[in-house]
Amino acid sequence: MIAAIGARTIGLVSSIYGLASLFIESFSALFTQVLFLRFRLRETLDQIFLVGVQSLPVILFSITFISIMLITEFSFHMKLVLRQDSLVPAFSTILLVRELGPVLTCLLLTSRVGAGMAAEIGTMKVTEQLDALRLLSLDPVEYLTIPRWVATVIAAASLSVVALGVAISGGAFLASLLLHYPIALYFQTMFLFTHFTDIMQCVLKASVFGSIIPVVACYHGFHCEQGSRGVGNAATSAVVQSSVVIIVADFVLTYLYYAV
Amino acid sequence: MKGLMTKGVRWSQVIDQMYVTGVRSLPTTLMAGLFVGAIMAIQINLQLRDFGAQSFLGGLATSVTIRNVGPVLIAFILSGKVGAYTSAELGTMQVTDQMNAIRCLGTDPIQYLILPRMCAVVLSSFLLLIVGLMMTIGGGLLMANLQLGVNSLNFIGNIPKLVQWWSVGTGVAKSFVFGVIIAVISCYRGYHTVGGAVGVGKTVKDSAVETLVIIVVADVALSAVSNVIYALLGMDQL
Repeated sequence: MIAAIGARTIGLVSSIYGLASLFIESFSALFTQVLFLRFRLRETLDQIFLVGVQSLPVILFSITFISIMLITEFSFHMKLVLRQDSLVPAFSTILLVRELGPVLTCLLLTSRVGAGMAAEIGTMKVTEQLDALRLLSLDPVEYLTIPRWVATVIAAASLSVVALGVAISGGAFLASLLLHYPIALYFQTMFLFTHFTDIMQCVLKASVFGSIIPVVACYHGFHCEQGSRGVGNAATSAVVQSSVVIIVADFVLTYLYYAV
Repeated sequence: MKGLMTKGVRWSQVIDQMYVTGVRSLPTTLMAGLFVGAIMAIQINLQLRDFGAQSFLGGLATSVTIRNVGPVLIAFILSGKVGAYTSAELGTMQVTDQMNAIRCLGTDPIQYLILPRMCAVVLSSFLLLIVGLMMTIGGGLLMANLQLGVNSLNFIGNIPKLVQWWSVGTGVAKSFVFGVIIAVISCYRGYHTVGGAVGVGKTVKDSAVETLVIIVVADVALSAVSNVIYALLGMDQL
């Protein structure tokens, strides 16, 4: 029993240590790349296409549905508490912009991109392509992690803003259909309560979450065990760990921003 | 599928799978629930503070979290923890020809592997979601009491005023539907895996993304249906 607890604790600590050291290693590698003008622009652009452009439809679709869900939900609660729902656009948009937009965008990115990255790098590890890279004196962190990292941060930040725009418009349209709320009035009420700093906060949150996803995915890819079981496990743990870390990071950011 | 149901489910297998998927996901779910509750308490508090209506915090935060945001966010975590795990396991069995081996032994892999997993994943996701939703109340309470300066007795006392039994019912119904979605998609994707280690990775990704999108759509549909039911039964008034 005690041995099992000890083994689990050691595993947890060593995986946290591994994640942190990969984070620091990628950061310093990125710094040297930029400093010595060896930044791999081509791979980064490829990854931005893979991460950003190809996830766009899924994310737009889901976030729009989330926005509709928030509107119906807040309408219900406002009627319950205040017996009228004239402030629905303000409340639902604030919650969407500050909280659910970036978090859900990045949770979707986690399963769409994080699992794919972990599986891809895990497959490379299983088929000894990582060793082949090392033989060519290419550092896997520098060659694989950095382009994915930069690409995911850029993609997450821009996707969250695009998704917000589409989701708010979709919500306004649906509110005019379902709640008979004029679209002009919807935007007027919305801008009374939503400010530019909220959008900045959304971008900040999305980029922090976006920097979590590829590091966790690459860590699990690099430590992938042999065979298809290992690849499956790597993809699964990448999804789970990054989602949990995203939720915790969201709490920390929200707390630092508002409660302190 | 119907014919297989009549042959009976191997309950010992179901229990095993429930341990593997359910009990091992419990810490993750508890943590996610705690943090989701705390985040929602901070956000709702911000909105209420402008109107000086902080006394509504307990009811409103709990109601929003239990009815909508909680089930969705916790189901997102579970789709990775439970769904991706199941699809990866079944996919590994498929690409390493273990399914065919079972077929050679004269056992139907659908009855032997898929059916117990499906039952187990539905049950364990459902139970985990319920536990996670309970945890969100705890998280909101802790946050309100420690940081937001809302009395915890006030917080708890406000909950029954705004959260009626039908709100809890909505949360429970959503949890069950999300459990079914996670189970069906992960088993289907896992069973239809092709192409070695790359295929397993692709299966995990596809099943996770499909689960998330369908959960979001189902959430909107269920919210709409439940609102219509409340309106019909005249329950949307206090």
